[in-house]
Amino acid sequence: MRQLNNILEGFGSTILLLFRSIGYLPSLPRQFGRFVEQCYLIGYTTLPIVAILSFFIGSVLALQAGYSMQNFGAKQFIGSLVGLSMARELGPVMVAILLAGRVGSAITAELASMKVYQEIDALVTMNIPPVRMLVMPRLAAAVVMVPVLAIIANLVGWFGGAIVSKYTNFISIDPPAYFAALRRFMEFKDVANGLIKAEVFGLGVVLVCCNIGLNTRGGPREIGASVTRAVVTSLILILVLDYFVTKALM
Amino acid sequence: MNNFQQTARVGLFFILGLALTWVTFETLRGGKVFKDQGYNLIAGFESLKELKEGDEVRMAGVKIGEVEKTRLAGRRAEAVLRISHQVKIKSDASAMIVMAGLIGTNYLSVTLGTEAAPDLPDGAEITTKTTPDLNSVMTQMGELGKKLETAIGDLSSALSGDGKNETGIIKKVDQLITENRENISKATANLQEITTKVNKGEGTLGRLISDPKMYDELVSTIAEIKNGASEAKTFIANAQKIVDQVKSGQGAIGALVFDQKAGDDIKVSIANLRSVSEKIARGEGSLGKLLSDESLFRDAQSIMKKADRALDGLDDTGPITAVGVVYGGLF
Repeated sequence: MRQLNNILEGFGSTILLLFRSIGYLPSLPRQFGRFVEQCYLIGYTTLPIVAILSFFIGSVLALQAGYSMQNFGAKQFIGSLVGLSMARELGPVMVAILLAGRVGSAITAELASMKVYQEIDALVTMNIPPVRMLVMPRLAAAVVMVPVLAIIANLVGWFGGAIVSKYTNFISIDPPAYFAALRRFMEFKDVANGLIKAEVFGLGVVLVCCNIGLNTRGGPREIGASVTRAVVTSLILILVLDYFVTKALM
Repeated sequence: MNNFQQTARVGLFFILGLALTWVTFETLRGGKVFKDQGYNLIAGFESLKELKEGDEVRMAGVKIGEVEKTRLAGRRAEAVLRISHQVKIKSDASAMIVMAGLIGTNYLSVTLGTEAAPDLPDGAEITTKTTPDLNSVMTQMGELGKKLETAIGDLSSALSGDGKNETGIIKKVDQLITENRENISKATANLQEITTKVNKGEGTLGRLISDPKMYDELVSTIAEIKNGASEAKTFIANAQKIVDQVKSGQGAIGALVFDQKAGDDIKVSIANLRSVSEKIARGEGSLGKLLSDESLFRDAQSIMKKADRALDGLDDTGPITAVGVVYGGLF
């Protein structure tokens, strides 16, 4: 019962945090420096790991698809399989998971330590709303940067699949044929679908991590616990949201 | 890292994201940001089968547009096509749904039509042809299989009998052979005898086959027939030439048949002859009087008698000219 209460409390405080952040949105131009800093952290520094991971996910997808499909002569559809999987599902989900692991944990750790060391209280004392200064720029940066990460993940994944399809003996499909199959069964709608999903996930992850960080209570030990809780909650949220967003966008 | 560098990197990263989104968009939309406005045509079908929005419209295998919308219009299905402005579709062109692969991908194929036909305007309806889809082909194959099975069953029962009342053809033939075994062996023997004779060169057929003289005669006969045919051909050619000449109005017959002036002259001559004969009949003119007046006949008779006598007297009177005698006789 207490756990359920905690879940509901977390859910409600996250929603309230979102609305409060939206309310502070007009102050974004005045915090442009902070916004750029967050963009740098969320987008630019996350790019290498997103590129490496999506390249290998695309490659593995092509490899597995080629292995399964060679038995019934459907190898020429690898391009469309990798393309659609990356654009609609794996690209956005993977970006969101990386965001939770790399950025979300950092956000929670930072906000939790600020809370534990009473920096947040100091801000409140100075009549500076912590949400305006700490949460809103992060949310805005996530909204702008996550789709960029997702489109890069898609393209790198497609190229990874193309390279594996070309240089694997039992697949041997040239890139033109691979991309022709990809184009044939894909529309921009599929990519846009994935970008919307990535946007929702990114917003959710940053919001959850900020909320957990701001609600940390206790000593330094609680900082670590908050980070763990934030990452786990983010991962669960991503997968739960994934189902509903996919269903809604179909 | 200073603030400026950070901002520049974020800006660059954002621009990179936008550029990649643009590239993806261009690639998946066939390099066009805004759809080619083109013009619309309507293709009505009994069923659109697997044709769906966004499927290609091809002319001679080249993509010229796409299916913009599919809808149900009364008792038929309609596909609204968006055709590129650069392609004009002729009014006698026709559209049909063609299967691009076995996994349900279709496209709409449009024929070229004739060069002289007018172009179809925006919103016009294109003629369509129904093509059998895989399901209907399968159904027909199934029906064909059933028919084939029935036919083979019928043939089998015709050959071997249905095992009840009807006896099969094979049994009947067997009976026939059994009953006529003697006759057949006789006929075979006769046939053998005939072939032996032919081999030996006996009889007309045998001689024809074995005697070279007979062969030569046959060859010369054929040559003569050929010759005759060639002459007949020449004759027909000549006759054709004459007919052509007559047709072109050359020669007397040609003039008679085809020359208008000659025809008119003949008509006039006949009319003159008719008037002369009528005058004669009425006793007008010398000839008429000669024919109708008996006194003239009698005068002529007496003149003839006198002439006769004068001729008789020629032997006595010596060489007198005939003109003199006639003259003397008459006057």
